[in-house]
Amino acid sequence: MGRTAPPEVVLIFRGTHQVMSAEKNLKRAGVPMRLIPVPRRLTSDCGLAIRISHPDRDLARKVLSRARIIPRSVHILLDQEEYEEVPF
Amino acid sequence: MAETVARALGRAGNPGRSGHALSIRSARDLFVARERLAELFGARDSSRFVFTGNATEALNQAIKGILRPGDHAVTTSVEHNSVMRPLRRMEEAGVTVTVVPAGPDGAVDAKAVAAAIRRRTRLVAVVHASNVTGAIQPARQILRAARKAGAYLLLDAAQTAGSVPLSLSDLPVDLLAAPGHKGLLGPQGTGFLYVREGVPVVPLIEGGTGSRSESDRQPDFFPDALESGTPNSVGIAGLGVSLAWLLRKGIGAVRRKERELLEELVEGMGRIGNVTVYGPRDPSRRASVISFLVDGMDPAEVGRRLEKEFGVLVRSGLHCSPDSHRTIGTFPEGTVRVSPGPFTTGKEIARFLAALRKIAASRR
Ligand SMILES: Cc1ncc(COP(=O)(O)O)c(C=O)c1O
Repeated sequence: MGRTAPPEVVLIFRGTHQVMSAEKNLKRAGVPMRLIPVPRRLTSDCGLAIRISHPDRDLARKVLSRARIIPRSVHILLDQEEYEEVPF
Repeated sequence: MAETVARALGRAGNPGRSGHALSIRSARDLFVARERLAELFGARDSSRFVFTGNATEALNQAIKGILRPGDHAVTTSVEHNSVMRPLRRMEEAGVTVTVVPAGPDGAVDAKAVAAAIRRRTRLVAVVHASNVTGAIQPARQILRAARKAGAYLLLDAAQTAGSVPLSLSDLPVDLLAAPGHKGLLGPQGTGFLYVREGVPVVPLIEGGTGSRSESDRQPDFFPDALESGTPNSVGIAGLGVSLAWLLRKGIGAVRRKERELLEELVEGMGRIGNVTVYGPRDPSRRASVISFLVDGMDPAEVGRRLEKEFGVLVRSGLHCSPDSHRTIGTFPEGTVRVSPGPFTTGKEIARFLAALRKIAASRR
């Protein structure tokens, strides 16, 4: 109990175009983000994913929903290699 | 543009197949070019632009991806072989095709197209502007007729993309095909097919997309649905650069410049007695293409002399569109074709006219 908010959120998209499009929209809205190789643990394969920090999750959701780019899945980094899938 | 292609060749990562820097760079080149296409053609969603190797591939994908046995298709007598041949192939697969004849200037009457549409018509395939006569077709009225009948409209913009303004928000055709290497000023080996959202196109080619690799089914989302295999990211990087140039310059400005040159050409050629000019008289109804003949002279000979004696490069013959020449009465010899571009100067037009006067005079 008393766990602090996990710091990192990984967004997985359907394809590379969608990752690029999400990146463009997040950057334009000033949401700090990084392109990362898809973590091994997470099943997907377009090669790229987007990492944001937890406090930016709501803003990211708003920006991406408005642009109609819905992630295929969203994962919270619990510790080292452990992820928990959460709703977008 | 050439420098960008050379630089891209030097690093060529496979886009979307990996997370390393070169792959990201290629993925970004594709994305940027797609976004620029969407901006240039007034489309909201760039993912609907699928890259192809040329216009021919895009047209084949559209035609063979839409038509099924029992369907009816409508087209015109001024289509390029890259439309006619796939349609003839589909006839063998149980599709019926109606070819609407164009007028002697190469323009089709939208009413005649509308009249050819039946209950089973699934596709209307029309060239936006003929590559032989330059005639710009009444796309808006044809789209209206197709919509009313529930048929899809495929527009072949090979001769207009990048040189005649075309906005998909204003003219929401279902399918739009174009090469990258003509009016879009990109390198050879590039082209695109735009597919409006909701238009059900079956992929012509299936395979690796870098997405959904755990599944042995082709993804159904764009652009991956219609883009399998390693793309020509090197060429598309170059196309991205020429698209940026066109966006800065504006297609309206390109069109105005080409129209001025067209008017000078048509007027100048009209004053040479034994030269026949084909296509619409009204320059606003003509893309940047003029077909002509020197009376009693083989078009191939005119082309050869223009190049050999005057250094002017033209194309003579049938221009891969035999039906267009049957329509305007120039089959089987064809015509000579001049096409001024955004970098053509008034001086070059004057030089061409002087050369043509000399060649024509040698015939009198
Ligand atoms: C009207 C028209 N359609 C299609 C094409 C085929 O284009 P591509 O050579 O890029 O396949 C051309 C090329 O000349 C054309 O003029």
